[in-house]
Amino acid sequence: MRMRLTLWLVVLLAVPVSLFAAVQDETNLDIQVREIAKTLRCTVCQTENIWESGAPLAQQMRGVIRERLALGHSEAEIRAYFLSRYGDYILMEPPKHGVNWLIWVAPFLLLLIGGFFLYKEVTHWVRDTPTPPSQPLPPLDDQARKRIEHELES
Amino acid sequence: MNKGWQLTLVLILLGLFALFYKGLWGDPRHIPTVLIGTEAPNFEGPDVETGQTISLAQFKGKVVLLNFWASWCYECKVEHESILQLHQLFKDHPDFVMLGVNYQDKLPDAQHYLQQYGTTFSHVRDLKGQLAIDYGVYGVPETFVIDQQGKIRHKWVGPITGEVYTNITQKVIAPLLTSQPATRTS
Repeated sequence: MRMRLTLWLVVLLAVPVSLFAAVQDETNLDIQVREIAKTLRCTVCQTENIWESGAPLAQQMRGVIRERLALGHSEAEIRAYFLSRYGDYILMEPPKHGVNWLIWVAPFLLLLIGGFFLYKEVTHWVRDTPTPPSQPLPPLDDQARKRIEHELES
Repeated sequence: MNKGWQLTLVLILLGLFALFYKGLWGDPRHIPTVLIGTEAPNFEGPDVETGQTISLAQFKGKVVLLNFWASWCYECKVEHESILQLHQLFKDHPDFVMLGVNYQDKLPDAQHYLQQYGTTFSHVRDLKGQLAIDYGVYGVPETFVIDQQGKIRHKWVGPITGEVYTNITQKVIAPLLTSQPATRTS
């Protein structure tokens, strides 16, 4: 009985350890593949990078990255290879040159222009809205005063 | 802020909206190619039917039409008749070669497809997808026309039917075949 219990304990302890070991098995090559793959867009799924995509093309692209890294190509060379085949589109982050600058600047530009026109409009409203002349409040009559006092006490 | 500045801001705004509007009508699947005018990557692979090695280098000096397809691809079936017709049109020209590239497919499925729908030209297997990536392919069918100098002259994503067929035969392949190649090695 005690033998069986010990055996179960060993099995239970071994499972999480083996899972942990699997995580630790990631080699430098795997890490490099992941880092490059995360920067490249899956051309089939468009919104995912090729590391996260399950598409066969993304899988093959990861294979190409791995092969090229094993051959001694640098990360920049591998990115340049994909860029030469698919153009800027393959990059998850559009490079900051030429018309691409518009992608980076346009949201802030829109915000500034929109903010400017909003500011102008609001100041116009404030200026053009006539303020009512301040009048003294009418005094409270006894009945109303008593009602308020009663409501405050209750 | 004076009227001139305000007008400039409105124009910038309108410009940005125009770009946004244009983007709404574009095909999100369309990726502009960067390969036109560049050297066609060489490749080597087994023939789908015979298993013999086919390489692009052996067709140097010829106009080569590369058609990427797969047995699971519906649009490939749509264009199949036109593709056979295109080959029929130019097959007797000594400087014309047509090659199919079987993409992300299982060999028995590809062979069955060719038996079922028929073929009159050779098809090379893209075993690891390397060939497709070299050509910047992201779906099938995709068609490339390579000139006598080995440069990519035309790319089309989608089926070669109707106006596309007319355009590729009359405006791309025919002029290339009538032009005198600069270098001939075969």
